[in-house]
Amino acid sequence: MSYVFFPGCALDGTAKDFHRSTLAVAARVGLDLPELKDWICCGSTAAHSTDPLLADALPAKSLSAAGGSTVAVACASCYSRLKTANHHIAGDAAVRARVAQVVGSDYDGRTPVLHLLEILCRDIGLPRIAAAIRRPLAGLKVACYYGCLLARPPEITNFDDAENPTLMDKLLETAGASPVEWPHKTECCGASFSITDSSIVLKLSNKILSMAQAAGADCIATACPLCQLNLDMRQKDIESRFGRRYRLPVFYFTQLLGLALGCQAEELSLSSLVVEPMALLEAKGIGR
Amino acid sequence: MTGAIVIESIGGGLACEVKERSGASPMSCYQCAKCSSGCPVASAGDLKPHELVRMVQMDQREAVLTSRFIWECTSCHTCTTRCPQQVDIAGMNDALRAMSRTARTAELSTAVPAFNEIFLDAVRERGRVFELGLMIRFKLRTKRFFEDVGKAPMMLLKGKLPLSGSRVGGEAERKALFGRAAARAAAGRRAACAADGQAPEGSAAGHQAAAGVAAEQRAATGAASHQPPEGGAK
Repeated sequence: MSYVFFPGCALDGTAKDFHRSTLAVAARVGLDLPELKDWICCGSTAAHSTDPLLADALPAKSLSAAGGSTVAVACASCYSRLKTANHHIAGDAAVRARVAQVVGSDYDGRTPVLHLLEILCRDIGLPRIAAAIRRPLAGLKVACYYGCLLARPPEITNFDDAENPTLMDKLLETAGASPVEWPHKTECCGASFSITDSSIVLKLSNKILSMAQAAGADCIATACPLCQLNLDMRQKDIESRFGRRYRLPVFYFTQLLGLALGCQAEELSLSSLVVEPMALLEAKGIGR
Repeated sequence: MTGAIVIESIGGGLACEVKERSGASPMSCYQCAKCSSGCPVASAGDLKPHELVRMVQMDQREAVLTSRFIWECTSCHTCTTRCPQQVDIAGMNDALRAMSRTARTAELSTAVPAFNEIFLDAVRERGRVFELGLMIRFKLRTKRFFEDVGKAPMMLLKGKLPLSGSRVGGEAERKALFGRAAARAAAGRRAACAADGQAPEGSAAGHQAAAGVAAEQRAATGAASHQPPEGGAK
C-alpha cells in the first residue's frame, strides 16, 4: 500500500515535535511517508461549527489530490475532519453534488484515510514493529490517552472500540512499556478552548491528569496536538488553580515508540516537551 | 439550569431546521439523559444536552440560540456516540452555533465565533493556519492581551511557536471556494426564512424570491443526485 502524509497545520507549528518524531519512526520501520502536495487546512472545529458545507469542502479539496494513495494522518483532529467529510460525501449524492459545486470539481469521498496508529498496528503489524525494537521501554508505566476524535463517532472513524480503544496500548506494549488500565482514555481535554476559555481546559485536563496519576502512570502518551499541549503546557496553570502538582511528562506516542526503536532524543524533539521528561527516562534506563 | 424546563410555545420549526441543516433528528430523543451523563461540560452549563434537545423539540428558538451551552460544547462527540436513539447531538449543536451566529446572539457571551472567524480567514488567505499569527489576531480582536501572555516566550524557547508559517498557492481559487460556500449558506438561510414566513436576514429579497431559491435548490439537488456533476475527480 502506498501512503501520502497529511501533516496538518499544528504539525507545522506547536506540534513540530509530533511531525519530527512521526517521520523518525516511519524511517525506522520502513514506512514511506511523502507529504501530500499542496494540502490545505482541514477546517477543524472552526469550519464545522460555522458551515457544514465548507467543513466537507476543505477536506475534499485535499483528499481529491491524493492520486489513489492512502492518506496517512497523525493529528486526531485532521483525521476526524477528513473521515467525516468522506463519510458525508460518499454516503449522500446530494452532499457530493453540493461539495463539487463549492470546490469546483467532483470528489467521490473514497480516498482511504488512516491514522498512523492504524498503519503501524495493522498495516505494518506488531510483529514487524517488535522486530525493530532496539531499546525496550522496560518498566515505563504509560497512560495511553486517545482523546475524543480518533474513536468517536465509531460509525465514521471505524478506528477501534469507542469506549476502550487499545491500539496505542498494544503498540507501546510491543515497544516494551507497561500501559496502565485507566478509565479516561477518551475523556475530553477541552481542546481548542485552550485559546477561547482556558478555564474549561484546566478543569477537564485536571481530571485526566489526576486519573492517570491515580492509575499509577509515570507518563501519558497522546496522539493529538491539542491534547498534548493542554495536558503538558497547562500543568503549571492546573497546579495554581487546583493545587494539584503532577509533573507527569506528556509524550506523543511517536516519541516513546521512537525511543524504543533507537532514535536519539534530538530526532524526537524531546526538548520541546514542557514537563521535563529526561529524569524519568534516565531513571528507567531509557534516556541514554 | 436545574429543575423543570419552561415551555412557552410548541411549534416544531426549529427541529425541522436543525434536521435540514445537520441531518440530526432531535425529535427522536426520549429524554434518557445518557448524553448529559457523559458530557464533559454539562455540569457547568446553563443547559444540559438532553435539556437542549428538549428545548429544540419544543421550538424554544430564542432560549436555544442564546444558550451558553451551545458555545461551551467541546465537540467531543460523546453524546452522539452514546445516544440510544442515534440523535447526532454534536451535529445538532454545529447547526445551532451557525444559526446563533447568524442571529447575532453569540457575540456577547463567548469568544468562540470570533476565534472561528479568524481561523477561517487564515485558511482562506494562506490555505493553512499559522498559529502565532492566529493567536495575535485573536488577542487584538478580543483585547485579551494579558491572558496566557507568559506562555509565548516559553513556547518560542521550546520551538513550539515558529515565527513564520507555510502558505499554499491557489489563493484566488481558494477565495472563490469560500465565496461559493458562503453564497450557498446564505441561499440556505433565505430558504429557511421563507419556510418560516420571515423576512430573510441581511437581504431585501422577499418571501417569493426566497421561495424561488428554495425551489432552485431542490431542483439542483434532485438533478445532481441522479447525475454527478462534470469534471471528475483528479
